[in-house]
Amino acid sequence: MSTLEMLFGHVTMASAFRVACPMIVAAMGGVFSHSAGVFNFAYECIMLCGAFFAAYGSHISGSYVVGGLFAAGVGMLLAAVFGFFVYKLKANAALVSSALNMSAWALTTLLLYTIFGVRGRVVSDTIINYPKIHFDFLDRFPTLSYILNDNIWMVYFAYILVIAAFVVMYHTSFGLRCRGVGINPAAAETVGVNVGRMRWTTLLIMGLFSGLAGSYMPMSGLSTFNENMTSGVGYLVWAAILVGKSNPVLTAITCFVFAYTDALSTVLTALEVPMQLVSMIPYATVIVTLFVVGLRSFTGKPRILGD
Amino acid sequence: MAHKSSEGRIKELAGRLRPGPGFWTLQRHSNAVRYLLAVVLSLLVGCLLFLQQGENPLYATYVMFQGGLANIVNIGTSIRWATPCLIAGAAVVIAFLSGFQNMGIEGQMLVGALAAGIVGYKVSLPHIPHLLLCFLAAGLAGALYALLPALMRLYLNISELLVTIMLNFIAEFGTYYIVYWILMGGTRSNTGAAAIKTEDILESAEMGTLIKGTTASTAFLFGLILLVVLQVVYKRTVIGYEAVQIGQNMEYARAGGVNVVKRFFQIFLCSGFVAGLCGGMEVCGSYHYFLANFPGNLGWEVFMVANAARYDPIALIFISCIWGVMKSGSLQLERVTTLTRYSVNIIQMLFILFVAVDYVGLYQKYKDRARVRREKKPAAKEGNQA
Repeated sequence: MSTLEMLFGHVTMASAFRVACPMIVAAMGGVFSHSAGVFNFAYECIMLCGAFFAAYGSHISGSYVVGGLFAAGVGMLLAAVFGFFVYKLKANAALVSSALNMSAWALTTLLLYTIFGVRGRVVSDTIINYPKIHFDFLDRFPTLSYILNDNIWMVYFAYILVIAAFVVMYHTSFGLRCRGVGINPAAAETVGVNVGRMRWTTLLIMGLFSGLAGSYMPMSGLSTFNENMTSGVGYLVWAAILVGKSNPVLTAITCFVFAYTDALSTVLTALEVPMQLVSMIPYATVIVTLFVVGLRSFTGKPRILGD
Repeated sequence: MAHKSSEGRIKELAGRLRPGPGFWTLQRHSNAVRYLLAVVLSLLVGCLLFLQQGENPLYATYVMFQGGLANIVNIGTSIRWATPCLIAGAAVVIAFLSGFQNMGIEGQMLVGALAAGIVGYKVSLPHIPHLLLCFLAAGLAGALYALLPALMRLYLNISELLVTIMLNFIAEFGTYYIVYWILMGGTRSNTGAAAIKTEDILESAEMGTLIKGTTASTAFLFGLILLVVLQVVYKRTVIGYEAVQIGQNMEYARAGGVNVVKRFFQIFLCSGFVAGLCGGMEVCGSYHYFLANFPGNLGWEVFMVANAARYDPIALIFISCIWGVMKSGSLQLERVTTLTRYSVNIIQMLFILFVAVDYVGLYQKYKDRARVRREKKPAAKEGNQA
């Protein structure tokens, strides 16, 4: 295979298409909470705990549906914990997010040891995977079929979710109120929107989708759970939301770009580029994207705008 | 005018020293209340965790405290782990008190440590100049690493929050790459060293140990002095006052004649310098070589510790010491019991969460609510009778 084919060929694209799924699902939940001004970046925590509890739920019940429900439930629970500490106990949101992110690794590793009895990773047939869906009409186009066919339901759900999120955000009253609460809570309050309830609702939506996104990794065919399985994906999701400025379509495109750089890592290691440089690429991409987007407001003079 | 006798003078001074009637209120001591309640609550939940894993919670707590404080060696370990908290915490305070969210402490620490590690073993100088050169290299590396987010904020108005976090990851991989591929030549050295690290620094670059037999270095004293100096600067100098004003109300500072742009740049680079210095002191004081990805969670922990201390330098000293004791205790716990250090990680996180709660404010709120309810009741009764 030529280098160009490796970089942009169907293998890489297929991988990117799949890897983007958890990021997009989590980000679609996150755009709502971010629009409502909820400063929660604990995606890493919720996705990792969602992954663990999906594996656990699937393990004890033998059904992937229960696994998915466990993951979504745990996600909502963690979001509620965040809401409790920040809205009821008036703690600092960035602090609680950081604490949650950090404790997730410790907590899941601990639970991995106490429940499954192993350290590092568990590979078990009792973790039932999501079934793969096959579309017969795609068999006529082999390249397209390679990319789009034989994926688990969540991959297709992610892209449908993008369209749904876009419609809800910009064409329903819920989306309008959500954005209004984020832009100016006081104004929203005077119009009659219950700001507190809106924040809690978007927080729970974010928890639900992030937890569900977390369930992708253990149950996508590998039947495994690793220590720190998400390893930074949560931060990339948050970065995508910030770069896409809470616009579902832009955020999804950014997620896809990040997923593409992730898929690129396999190709590049095959080309003998050192693994560490390859791992840097998604994060460097964020900075480059921010730079390019920020060039629009470049005036040549240094200035600080107050918050 | 009557002269006061010396007795009278002493009595007057003693009267001033005695605490007045309002001293023992809850508000005055809300910080102490917070720390105490947070420690107690997090230990309580921790005991539940210990129980779940099948260990006697009281024994586990005892081991934790013994690991932190029991003998001079354990105290040395506590000091060793409190030190990076102090210095990196100072860097966080410098940035956040002025309202700038420099989350890139971990990245700046890594590049600073790498710079110090390289200068430590490649250059040969007498003791003091070598140390100073290492520190200078570390600080400059950290400040340079903070340059990009500072410029992006100034010229492109891009929030430094995300950029610095991304730079953390890039530093993590970048320093690993430099050590493994460039310095170690891409293969593990045939001396059998399993760790990805640079060579040991020369003796002339090592900092003095505080307590014999431990890795507690004089960097701890440096951290203490740094935080005291910061407290003085913020409370008593014009620069400190301006820095805090920028953080609290930028327009007010601007109206007051502060060159906000210049100060932002200076403060941000200062924060990066101190963070790099922290990394350098870790290398020169405790490790004596650069170990790839050595901060681990420390990069994130310092934010929580500094926030828990409400960015007050003196409070930071106390919380860092508590943090060091907990960390040392967790290592002892892992050695002595079947518990893993993750349990103590969770307790540390809970400590941070519980410290962030404003207990006195909540208590006041519920007290007021109860009072209002009590006052409403007799009025309602009268209303029913009328």
